[in-house]
Amino acid sequence: MIASRFEYRNPQDIDEAVRLYLEFQGDAVYLSGGTDLVPRMKLGLEKPGAVIDLKRILPLTTIEDQGDWVRIGGLARIFDLKQNELIKNFFPALEASLEATSCESLQMRGTIGGNLLQNSRCLFYNQSEFWRRSKGFCLKMGGESCNAVPGAKTCFANYCSDNAPALCTLSAEIEFTGPDGLRRLNLEALYTNKADKPFDLRPGEILTAILLPKKKTIGGYKKLRVRGAIDYPLLGVAFSFANGSGKLAVGAVGPKPYVVEVKQPARDNIGEAVKTVLKQARPVGNTVLDPDYRKRMISVFAARLVNKVMKGAK
Amino acid sequence: MGQLEITLQVNGESMKLDVKPAETLLETLRDRLDLTGAKEGCGLGACGSCTVLLNGVPTRSCIVLTAELDGAEVTTIEGLGDETRLDPLQESFMEKGAVQCGFCTPGMILTARSLLNRNAQPTRQEIIRTMSSNLCRCTGYKKIVEAVEAVSSRETPKP
Repeated sequence: MIASRFEYRNPQDIDEAVRLYLEFQGDAVYLSGGTDLVPRMKLGLEKPGAVIDLKRILPLTTIEDQGDWVRIGGLARIFDLKQNELIKNFFPALEASLEATSCESLQMRGTIGGNLLQNSRCLFYNQSEFWRRSKGFCLKMGGESCNAVPGAKTCFANYCSDNAPALCTLSAEIEFTGPDGLRRLNLEALYTNKADKPFDLRPGEILTAILLPKKKTIGGYKKLRVRGAIDYPLLGVAFSFANGSGKLAVGAVGPKPYVVEVKQPARDNIGEAVKTVLKQARPVGNTVLDPDYRKRMISVFAARLVNKVMKGAK
Repeated sequence: MGQLEITLQVNGESMKLDVKPAETLLETLRDRLDLTGAKEGCGLGACGSCTVLLNGVPTRSCIVLTAELDGAEVTTIEGLGDETRLDPLQESFMEKGAVQCGFCTPGMILTARSLLNRNAQPTRQEIIRTMSSNLCRCTGYKKIVEAVEAVSSRETPKP
């Protein structure tokens, strides 16, 4: 049951959606697949005055070959994307991360834009209001300190998009449309590196597209989880390689994907790249697996993935 | 927070409903329409026991707002077979003993139905991948996969 009350709107185009957001004076959320948002509303983590459903805005669902770029609409479904020939041929890291996302049924509902803008997660945060009240609110809920690391004044929630690391290795850019018009930025620039407020989003902005340089790559994605389906990543490692240079991105061990260049020969330099990641990643005891184990698995997964991918290189 | 008028086709029957914006499809089905086949498990879209077919796509009805569905077609487990003839999947689940407590079964069968509708003869691996969308805590999946496999070997591919 969703305890809060809100208005529901389903605009026919982007301008109308943004206009509605302004009409509700910012007390509104955009809805795409709802696989992240609706559970958050059920837990009382979101209490918007209005829900603006974007699903009637059909241009947001398209996948387009623009010559130098592949343009993916923010509302393209995960399941449709992973079967797209362009994605399969040019971006195998993304194909693998899409396949690893949740499970088939949720891939058919969830969208790529929603997957990127999913809020960060923590065992002490993604709980019912009753549970959270009993424990006392943490930083991310407006409290005084962290509940996962008692006394800490920093939030340690994990950003659990499977596809963000893969998209980072492919140098993705994203396009927002908001009250001030269009804004285009590198995906990596979206992240604030603060888990309690993970995105540099301006009020009323809609993630309208993800743009990938159309360049043939080899790559892959490797995900640590307890169960082979549905689970969020407890660690996600993506790697893409093209024209003699590679990029590694590590997700779900902090508030953003950690992205590093891997010099050639990639197999010899992966250790160096992982060291840079380990300096930034900060897994703590806020998932169902031990943080030390998750940290150790970063180098194991990275080495295995890079070895596997580079075996396919000419 | 006014009510919204929605037109919905549920198990082949067209209906007009006045729903609250915060009402989920699962609440509409169970509490308004007395279709209690879809079950509420986790309530957060993780377990799949509330799965129904929404325009043919297996969908977790506990995390979909009914307000989103104006003009949609919904099939629940009640709409799959009829009193005299069950869906071959329902027969097969009984035959193979793919049901223990039964709580996940409606969701399992609808997920399997959508797989067979788009791919009449999936490989065992494809069946496993699709069925892993739904949680079962008692049968251990072996018999569920066997039940789907048995039907797929009998169904002919669509042209």
